[in-house]
Amino acid sequence: MSGDDIPGAAFADLRAEVARAFAAPEGKTSGTDRGVTSDLSIDEALLLHSIGWEPIDLIFGASVVSIPVGIWTWGQGALDPASSAHAMAMTSASRRMEDQCASVGGHGAVGVRVAIEIHPRHVDVELTGTAVRPVGRAARRQRPFVSDLSARDFALLQGSGWAPVGLAFGASFVYAPRRTAGTVLRQSTQNVELVNYTQALYAARESAMERMQRSALEMSAHGIVAVRVDEGPMPFARHVIRFSSWGTAVALVAESHVGRQPRVVLALDDQVVQFAPEALHGG
Amino acid sequence: MSGGNPEGLPKDVGHRLEELERGLFTSDLSVNEFLLVKEAGFHPLGFVMGSSIHHTGVQTRRWSKSQELTKLTEAMYNARELAMTRMEEEAEVLGADGVVGVRLDVNYYEWGSDAAEFVAMGTAVKAEDGGSYRNVLGKPFTSDLSGQDFWTIMQTGYVPQGLVMGTCVYHIAHRGLAQAIGTVGQNVELPNFTQALYEARELAMTRMQDEATRLEATGIVGVRLEEKSHQWGSHTIEFLSLGTAVAKRGDEVTLPKPMAIISLDN
Repeated sequence: MSGDDIPGAAFADLRAEVARAFAAPEGKTSGTDRGVTSDLSIDEALLLHSIGWEPIDLIFGASVVSIPVGIWTWGQGALDPASSAHAMAMTSASRRMEDQCASVGGHGAVGVRVAIEIHPRHVDVELTGTAVRPVGRAARRQRPFVSDLSARDFALLQGSGWAPVGLAFGASFVYAPRRTAGTVLRQSTQNVELVNYTQALYAARESAMERMQRSALEMSAHGIVAVRVDEGPMPFARHVIRFSSWGTAVALVAESHVGRQPRVVLALDDQVVQFAPEALHGG
Repeated sequence: MSGGNPEGLPKDVGHRLEELERGLFTSDLSVNEFLLVKEAGFHPLGFVMGSSIHHTGVQTRRWSKSQELTKLTEAMYNARELAMTRMEEEAEVLGADGVVGVRLDVNYYEWGSDAAEFVAMGTAVKAEDGGSYRNVLGKPFTSDLSGQDFWTIMQTGYVPQGLVMGTCVYHIAHRGLAQAIGTVGQNVELPNFTQALYEARELAMTRMQDEATRLEATGIVGVRLEEKSHQWGSHTIEFLSLGTAVAKRGDEVTLPKPMAIISLDN
């Protein structure tokens, strides 16, 4: 946070916010017809208020898509049915979340938790997050954004002239090639690179990352931050390598990037200097 | 060390990186790190990776002899180097000045016993002022510093030169029965174990320092020493030391004076 907006004014605001929060359960707040539900922490909610946004409601998006029978058995190349099932589940889960967000009057969802489970016969995607909007502003005409960034990250981005535009994702599944018994035997005492395995991994990675990038370009994003990757063999089909990646697509909405001079702090709360009141009572 | 992609790889890579040249960036940096890298005067270009699935050979170890297992050391070093080189090549394609937040991992998969995936990933960055930050070898610098550390070190006039590493796979001798019986019930140092650990650690650290010297660095920051047995049993240990070699570029220290805070969080 930049330094000049902390004292005085912000504190008065804080009081008003606390008063508003107390009034909320009795339905005295303006703007919402019912109380606010959110899984944000108190700090995060206050931080949102400090940039003029408010949480509205806890929203969900879920989708289960079936995978054709028998595709996990032996084969070569990529498992397109699995990756398209994955893409379909992710797309419709986030579409549902956007719809729900729009219906409660939100401009977007922050702190979205992404849970992806891949079973032999279906892909299960569940998204949970909090719908947010600028205080006292009408619902926006564009589609709401979905972002897995925390409210704190959202506030930071907002202050630097960036805004989240959506969740970018991509996944790919490929078969790990088989080595012949002869090759295994020949290589058993050597230091060698297993080129075909490496290539399979690259193929999975490249197509997953490319799909993620394409989904970000479709949202006309300028970048994807906090990309997370998940790779490795499937637990139920060890000869299949999965690579999935996702992150929040962001776009520069201000004229240019707003730099914020960081301040260097030295935290003094350490075990050594921490004050322990119970020590005064002699245990 | 022969770098480069095995056949068939560049085609796929080129396509993904082509898209990145159209202005989209990808990055595994958190929002904080992203903003700090921007603050340090760099713009992220893309999430770059390199990996190699490597089969490690075998080497006979003598039960009662402490020794370096050179073949295994070579395998661990070369495979990591290959992954790093491939990552650097991707950064090169993007025209990056460096790669920050590099992570090196080793993954073992069940479909290939003795086969491990060595992977290096990080975010390629480019200086916004057009200055060159390449190292003496003319390559983009690599660094395992986080975005926070990267910003901080740039304020002190130091510039990262490269991720340096040294490794040593060492077999530590077992103790003979007579020795074991002789020390029952006593407090004694076990000099052969101590010596073996010392020697292995020294070898790894020296190799890391040699790499830094090659980069004409003035120091290595954030050194970590990792000891892992991987899949070789308890008496064979890999000592891996990793750090970021830095060189002093300017005398100007722009780091603000730290402010002491006591947070009220519990």
